[in-house]
Amino acid sequence: MVEAVGSVAVNPAHLRVSHITKRFAGAPAVDDVSFDVPKGSFATLLGPSGCGKTTTLRMIAGFYDPDVGDIEIGGRRVNDLPAHRRGTAMVFQDYALFPHMTVYDNVAYGLRVAGRPRPERDKRVNDTLAFVGLSGMGGRWPNQLSGGQQQRVAVARALVIEPQVLLLDEPLSNLDAKLREQLRVELRILQRRLGMTFVYVTHDQDEALSLSDWIAVMNAGKVEQAGTPWEIYYHPRTAFLADFVGAVNLVPARVQSVTDGGVTVSFGQHRASVHRPVDVSLSTGQEVRLCMRPESFTIAPAGASADGLALSGTIARRAFLGDTMRYWVKVDDREWIVDQPDPGATATLDGPVLLSLRPERVHIIAEQ
Amino acid sequence: MRSLRREPALLLALLAVIALVLAFIVYPQVQVVVAPGPGGYVSFLEGGTWTGPLVHSLEVMALSTTTAVLLGFVYAYAMVYSEMRWKPFFRLIGILPLLSPPFVVAAAYVLLFGPRGIITYGVFGQTPIIFGLLGIWGVQTIAFFPFAYQLIADALSRSDARMEQAARNLGAGPWRVFRTVTLPLSRPGLGAAILTTAIYIVEDFGNPQLVGGQFTVLPTQAYNLISGFGEFTSAAAVSTLLLLIALALYVAKIRLDGGRSFVTISGRASSMPRPPVPAALSWACFAGCLLLAGLILMIYGTLLVSAITVLFPINLTPTARHFTFVATGSNADALRNTLVFSGVAALVSAILALFAGWIVQRGDWPGKGILDFLFILPAAIPGIFFGIGYLTAFNQPWLDWVDRGWLIILSMVFWNIPVGYQASVAGLRQIDRSIDEAATSLGASRLRGFWDVIRPMLAGSLRVGLVTTFVRAVTTLSVVIFLFTPATTVATIRIYQLVNDLNWGGATAFTVADITMAILALVVFAALARGRLALGMARG
Repeated sequence: MVEAVGSVAVNPAHLRVSHITKRFAGAPAVDDVSFDVPKGSFATLLGPSGCGKTTTLRMIAGFYDPDVGDIEIGGRRVNDLPAHRRGTAMVFQDYALFPHMTVYDNVAYGLRVAGRPRPERDKRVNDTLAFVGLSGMGGRWPNQLSGGQQQRVAVARALVIEPQVLLLDEPLSNLDAKLREQLRVELRILQRRLGMTFVYVTHDQDEALSLSDWIAVMNAGKVEQAGTPWEIYYHPRTAFLADFVGAVNLVPARVQSVTDGGVTVSFGQHRASVHRPVDVSLSTGQEVRLCMRPESFTIAPAGASADGLALSGTIARRAFLGDTMRYWVKVDDREWIVDQPDPGATATLDGPVLLSLRPERVHIIAEQ
Repeated sequence: MRSLRREPALLLALLAVIALVLAFIVYPQVQVVVAPGPGGYVSFLEGGTWTGPLVHSLEVMALSTTTAVLLGFVYAYAMVYSEMRWKPFFRLIGILPLLSPPFVVAAAYVLLFGPRGIITYGVFGQTPIIFGLLGIWGVQTIAFFPFAYQLIADALSRSDARMEQAARNLGAGPWRVFRTVTLPLSRPGLGAAILTTAIYIVEDFGNPQLVGGQFTVLPTQAYNLISGFGEFTSAAAVSTLLLLIALALYVAKIRLDGGRSFVTISGRASSMPRPPVPAALSWACFAGCLLLAGLILMIYGTLLVSAITVLFPINLTPTARHFTFVATGSNADALRNTLVFSGVAALVSAILALFAGWIVQRGDWPGKGILDFLFILPAAIPGIFFGIGYLTAFNQPWLDWVDRGWLIILSMVFWNIPVGYQASVAGLRQIDRSIDEAATSLGASRLRGFWDVIRPMLAGSLRVGLVTTFVRAVTTLSVVIFLFTPATTVATIRIYQLVNDLNWGGATAFTVADITMAILALVVFAALARGRLALGMARG
């Protein structure tokens, strides 16, 4: 299975991973994984811990050897190249700054190894430090920097050698939430400006959605689904995916009829006509699951008029999340998660309510 | 494995390390073990001359280990748990024996308690027979309790003070906390400490040789067989027997503490304060430590006084003649040899061990467990066995073109390599692999990454290896006793010879010079480590 990366799919693959498998003590950590990453795109491997995403990244870097499969960078097979000849620089989760070198020396290290002359080195190091917002910090020691600054040094150190592919292994996970969001934005801007190919590993779906051109969601050593953030979020192919990326209502349902444009499904006493997913075949009577995002609903006091699919229920619990109010609404025997944006704009609801949602917001998952 | 094939330089370096291990650790030892041959072993075992020394060795091991560990435990408990005064003083006194050849205790013992000893004869007018089992027991107890103290204090201080605070917080008294929390938690460490002390004692050569008299233990029998009778085959068999005992103890020790060998070095980690103990206990600890420290001071005080007086204890007129004696002629050569050999050995051993630790710890090739074991193996090899091994393997005509000093240096390098190796591995455990990988991903080969990035970060481990190896080299007798030639005599050999000649003034002056060298090395390295005190373990 070779996936093309969404919007930039016109470019030829810059990084190609073909059917790689890696076993540790017999158990496959990565199991027949393939994907292409075009030049200049931001690709993300997303998944829970132990899913094989970091192992995949480390195989690209050359720290692990795949048992089976090939890795190509810029059209050249790199399996037999040692890690330091691959043109892949890595940003590590714990930054891995050299504690006995100043910021300048850390950033200059790769250029020094490459034997670049001093004037060039100075210029490139200083330019890169300025680029990541650390001008004038070259003389500092890593332990004198904040977590965010260390992270920037780690990025600068990898960027300065102008790698073919920049590999980032959960680079933001050691930072507090606020800083993480800020650096997320900066990383994305940086990548766009440089047009460099990034392969990013994270378990944080928000990070993956907000940063990436393309996401591969991994589970148990396999790529569960790959595609644009939009596809991953709204058209997950499996229940695992739907559940892993964002909060979701997964409701068992049965296919009643299939037409060209739509599918009629039933769940409980409800019936709904929803969009037919493009790349799955459905047949009448088939068991499926409906995937509905909490924010796709409109919630109103009972008796309000509904638009599209309407469900009557009672509020069981609620949680104030700041930007949204999350309700758990009991409909028949099932609790539905429903988010109401901007809770300050309306009164907090209680008791019987009416949920409504547009049929096109319902996504059918046909796995099982 | 594939990563090695992709980096030929790394592969070459690894092969070089393996070659060194095979040549200087495996080969000489195998030579000794196989020397008697099957027939030789059979007739040796049937001859039965080994039963006496074997029983003696086990007897001495049981007795001396028990008392040394008990005294060491008192000292360690007092240092770690009590709030007694003078702790820095006691710590300093506790280090002193590690910086001296253990067998000088025997020399002091003879001066103090011998037939003409200052206490036995001088005070009580007695001329007791001090040689034999009781003599060895007493001397080894005093010589090795400071080692036991270092090992036990290390084990105790590793127990988490927060656990003890929690137990106190839950209402347990100090004794109960110690019995139900501290002891169970530090049991593996204490067990390892006891076993390590037992290894030091069972392979001790100098003390039994000087005060054992007719009471022969395995190391002294091996020595006597070679030096007295040229009975090389029997000596090899005897020392193989000794090796088996030491190996058994060592394997048991590894199972307890996972091979985290030596106490050695580096400032002890400052830990969270321990819960307070009753004042009376602190005073009892103080009294106990005062007594033990007094004993140590008496030993070394005797050596010092003997070194600066005409004829201890009969003529106590101060004189510099013994030091003049030490500083002239072949004696001065021996001192210089000690300095040069130990210095070169420390440098080579520490650097090689640092690199070996890295290449093994960071390796991902099959068989690295074997290499790891071989690098710590010398710690289990009795010095006498190691010496015989080098004698057998390298004291050969075809090596006549090599200066015999190199033989001594090499024996010191590889006998001590576990120290630096362990320090390197321990240091590397503190350095995340991502540091190595960062260097690699920035374009440095793994060797270059080691040199640029890891090596500077292991400076502390390197210092540990340097100072400990130096101190152990300066104070060892058993390893070099078969390897020296008149031109390559070292200080410990000269001390041993002078004691045998009953030249007490010369022997003690030599001892003072030797210990001073070790202390100077320690001070220099402590200064380099910016005040962090480094301790070295030495053994017979």
